Amino acid sequence: MAAYFLRRFLLIAPTFIGITLLVFAVTRVVPGGPIERMMTQAQLGGESGAMQKNQGSGGTLSEEQLKDLAAYYGFDKPVLTGYAEWLGKVLQFDLGHSTRYQDPVWDIIKERFPVSLFFGITTLILTYAVCIPLGLLKGMYHGSRFDAWSSGVVFFGYALPSYVIGIAAISLFAGYWDWFPLGGFVSDDFDDLSYWGRVQDVFHHAVLPLIAYMAGSFAMTTFMMKNALMDHQSADYMRTAAAKGLSRHQAVRRHATRNSLIPIATSFGNNISVLIGGSFLIETIFNIDGIGLLGYEAILERDYPVVMGILVISSLLYMVGNILSDLCVALVDPRIRFGGPATA
Amino acid sequence: MSIFSLKNPVAIKRWQRFKRSRRGYYSAWLLLLLTALSLGAELLANNRALLVHYQGQWYFPTYSNVYSGEQFGLDYAYEVNYRDLQQHFADQDEGNWLLMPPIPFGPLETDLIAGDFPPHASSLATQHYLGTDTSGRDVAARLLYGFRIAILFSIALLILNYGVGVAIGCLMGFWGGAFDLIFQRIIEIWSNVPFLYVIMIVASIITPGFWTLLLIMAFFGWTGMTWYMRTATYKEVARDYVMAARALGASGSRIMFRHILPNSVSTLVTFVPFSVASGITSLTVLDFLGFGLPPPTPSWGELLKQGTENLESLWIVGSVVVAMTVILMLVAYVGEAIRDAYDPKQFSYYE
Repeated sequence: MAAYFLRRFLLIAPTFIGITLLVFAVTRVVPGGPIERMMTQAQLGGESGAMQKNQGSGGTLSEEQLKDLAAYYGFDKPVLTGYAEWLGKVLQFDLGHSTRYQDPVWDIIKERFPVSLFFGITTLILTYAVCIPLGLLKGMYHGSRFDAWSSGVVFFGYALPSYVIGIAAISLFAGYWDWFPLGGFVSDDFDDLSYWGRVQDVFHHAVLPLIAYMAGSFAMTTFMMKNALMDHQSADYMRTAAAKGLSRHQAVRRHATRNSLIPIATSFGNNISVLIGGSFLIETIFNIDGIGLLGYEAILERDYPVVMGILVISSLLYMVGNILSDLCVALVDPRIRFGGPATA
Repeated sequence: MSIFSLKNPVAIKRWQRFKRSRRGYYSAWLLLLLTALSLGAELLANNRALLVHYQGQWYFPTYSNVYSGEQFGLDYAYEVNYRDLQQHFADQDEGNWLLMPPIPFGPLETDLIAGDFPPHASSLATQHYLGTDTSGRDVAARLLYGFRIAILFSIALLILNYGVGVAIGCLMGFWGGAFDLIFQRIIEIWSNVPFLYVIMIVASIITPGFWTLLLIMAFFGWTGMTWYMRTATYKEVARDYVMAARALGASGSRIMFRHILPNSVSTLVTFVPFSVASGITSLTVLDFLGFGLPPPTPSWGELLKQGTENLESLWIVGSVVVAMTVILMLVAYVGEAIRDAYDPKQFSYYE
């Protein structure tokens, strides 16, 4: 078992290198990088700035300047060498500087953490707090009117992608009825508000994005819980419990609930990447300044150090999350043995 | 194969179970009907008339050559404006008449109403039943054509993805060893690469058309099927009948095509509806972000984008969201029914 997880952790390294190398190569091949952007800026700036300096070159950069720039951004070396250098820096926890803001990438990402963390944690808590009881109730009263109605609602969230739900929510509740703000994380006068006012303000802004965030995972978790409970309700140990004289409620509460949580545990580790990753679509729609939006804008602006930085963090978290999921399963269900044949 | 010819008792059982879930069964028919209707979108939403009766002659402009205005007694040589022609015929009252499609606007045609800036709200008088978008194009027509592109795209994507996924997954399971190990790593890397990022980067350099976009998306999308196919093949290869076939001297390709594929492919059917839904969704996302099909193409994502930028014109967002809801719900119902049909265990909906 320990050997299995050790092997899984060791396999992170080659996969990580594969992912980053692939995207790194893409960023090199793609035209329109930071240097091209600099050149267009210089050309545009040349209109006004040409009077003072480099009148001869008409605003464009000279060969030498271009070379300096290429060297500055590390674009003068072949892909593999450039990648090796980049990887060496990453191993020293240096993600480089953003070509757009000139700030260290790590600082930029750190700045956005709280927002993404807020949405991640709130979504996580709400999803589990609502889905587990709802799934249990649906399982216990399978086929009832409550089950049918809640299935309709849950199915809605399952069929529609969360960004569409976000768009529908914002256009109805913010655009048409004006109940909620049109986006952003806090109001402009946030600093002047009292403590209680600030809490209210944050949640007022957060309601719609949270609905969108939850819609995706909601159906999965609820149905997983329901199906697991229904499987267990027909299990032998439940009949034994009934024979002992427990009522159905007691039997479910004392025996089936715990066993039914096992499948939920399977996906628990994956939350770690959702927790801070955020969805750039939802963040774009609601104009929330989180990691997702940062990554999206970084691609648009060809801010490759930021793109790579986010990729490093998100892919590491994803892989660690997968292993964590397996670990959770192994912890919750002692029957499961990873790696190698089961020893009976 | 056993799924299509319903001689196999298991397949008959499945088909009966599928029919028994009425919701899924009717959704499947409705979905087929909608797809068929969208294939004939020109007959439903078009700025060309369905048929023209002019001086005793019949014309069918929908699928024929372009008719100039002069042919119908108007004073211009460019293409007839059939909506004006209809008015013209009515004014003349000489027994000429023409029949317009239910939605008398093309998907690319801008219809500017004098004295008003687009987007125009939906109204029966202007025959823009769902209003127009920000450049005065009919939303209903664009929805219809957009659906056609989305569904065809997602079916083509599905065929490509399943083709590659099944082939590679089958080989991984059949050959095992180093081939399996290498492809496992490749798939792991592939599915971890933020595929939307790469598509966005690629799409921002070249303007992708239908086929290029399809190829790029298939390039990153095939991995999903491979895992299932690999496990299924591993399971089948270990069965006694495969050993028996081997002992009888069957070649590798014969075992693969006659024994393993028919037995493992059938469960892949349960994934099809969800792949169709995800194909539609991802095309819409790309169009929404502006990295999808080039601008004049009617698409749901582009309408969504316009809608979010003009929240006061609620009919744009409203139409697309309702259309997407209907289609994706139908697909999900079909998927649910197929899952039920393939899963002999009662009461389980999702894995």
